[in-house]
Amino acid sequence: MTTKYRLIASVLCHRGQVVQTRRFKPQNVIGNAITAVDFFNSWAVDEIILLDISPNDQYFDSFVETADELSKRCFVPLTVGGNVRSLDAARRLTRVGADKVVVNTGAFLRPELIAEIADAFGKQAVVVSVDAAPNPDLPSGYEVVIDRARHRTKEDLLSWVNKATAHGAGELLLNSVEHDGDRRGYDIPLMNLVTSHVSIPVIAFGGVNEWQDLVSGIRDGGVQAVAAGNIFHYTEQSTKKAKEFLEQAQLRVRRSQFYEISLPRHPKYRPY
Amino acid sequence: MKIAIIDYGYANIRSVINAFNCFECDISILESPKALADSDKIVMPGVGSFDAGMRGLRERNFIDTMSERVFEFDVPFLGICVGMQMMSEGSEEGDLPGLGWFQGTFRHFPSTDSSLKVPHIGWSEVTAQPDSQLFSGIDLVSDFYFAHSYYLPIDEKKDEICAGKCTYGVPFTAAVEQDHVFGVQFHPEKSQLAGMKIIENFLSI
Repeated sequence: MTTKYRLIASVLCHRGQVVQTRRFKPQNVIGNAITAVDFFNSWAVDEIILLDISPNDQYFDSFVETADELSKRCFVPLTVGGNVRSLDAARRLTRVGADKVVVNTGAFLRPELIAEIADAFGKQAVVVSVDAAPNPDLPSGYEVVIDRARHRTKEDLLSWVNKATAHGAGELLLNSVEHDGDRRGYDIPLMNLVTSHVSIPVIAFGGVNEWQDLVSGIRDGGVQAVAAGNIFHYTEQSTKKAKEFLEQAQLRVRRSQFYEISLPRHPKYRPY
Repeated sequence: MKIAIIDYGYANIRSVINAFNCFECDISILESPKALADSDKIVMPGVGSFDAGMRGLRERNFIDTMSERVFEFDVPFLGICVGMQMMSEGSEEGDLPGLGWFQGTFRHFPSTDSSLKVPHIGWSEVTAQPDSQLFSGIDLVSDFYFAHSYYLPIDEKKDEICAGKCTYGVPFTAAVEQDHVFGVQFHPEKSQLAGMKIIENFLSI
């Protein structure tokens, strides 16, 4: 028996607002992060990923404040990142309640960052986010892209994945530049390439259009967790429906249990 | 009720504070053992490495006072994740001995099976002992959130302190319980309502 497949809701913050993205560019403003997390926390979601996708770290202070507010009301794992370029930035996020820290460009430019965070908070606290684009000239057929899809690195995907795991990555968050927000499902060959190559958990991200895409990510892509953002914002009881769909597909997922608990100091916590 | 949360300098304690904050209790975050004498219950969170944690406990002089409060004054104690690991005799992860409050050494998950991703991160089913105080009122089989690479093997000698079992490639001890001393490998503060129920149970002991 192994662990259950995780359903993860992603919340993207752009200059202090929750947004949807398409090919890494912010599109619609959804609202504020607290409402979004209250919403996800209330349903069957297994984890929340909160990312600051502001163009630079100008909004990082207010993002840390947002993470701080969210962690007080989030009783599933909270994974936070975006613009994390130093151990100090990672420390600020864990201090306000991030259970795991996401690194991407900062880690690519200086892979030691992964080891520094792993040493300080444990390997399980470092999620390395990798964005990939097809490149037939490279051995794996994919190239690493950084800076929110603005900068092609010419580095082979698997070569970077090897480096990241060697430095102590605890998990990978894998996204395809072309599939992001494009509603054509995860890039399954990309997921498969990476999951069959690494021994750490992989989270699929980018492109979910229907619940069947989540099933494909797990079954064909071999990932341990499926993340989506846009699709959850528009469907009522969305994460619950997604869970039911996964269950019907015979995939082992967590069922939320209800217990009568008095939480006097947390009147805003509405679990169901 | 006064709850002491042990801060040995390495753990991410904020999530634990957030969860306990939902209940009627006064939380103090202790960087030294001085205030332990005033505490009704002690919680030792844990994220990070085994040796860093043990070194932190030692440098901040927690060990003797903590043991005294727990075993001579019967103050209820809850170790979480690496916090539970440090209650044991030791771990393959480090060289320093643990507190030795219960028998056994933590092992690394086997890496022979390539489908078994390590760390074990995610929600897994815990089968609780029916008479456990910690799992009181919780379904006998219930999902909890785990994030760890080292586990306590199940063996007959430890069966009487095992309060919950889990399987990830190998069967392992998800919770230990002896009278008023508890340890959980999972994160109750991140296990939604099932986890909140664990915390409520601990607070009501």
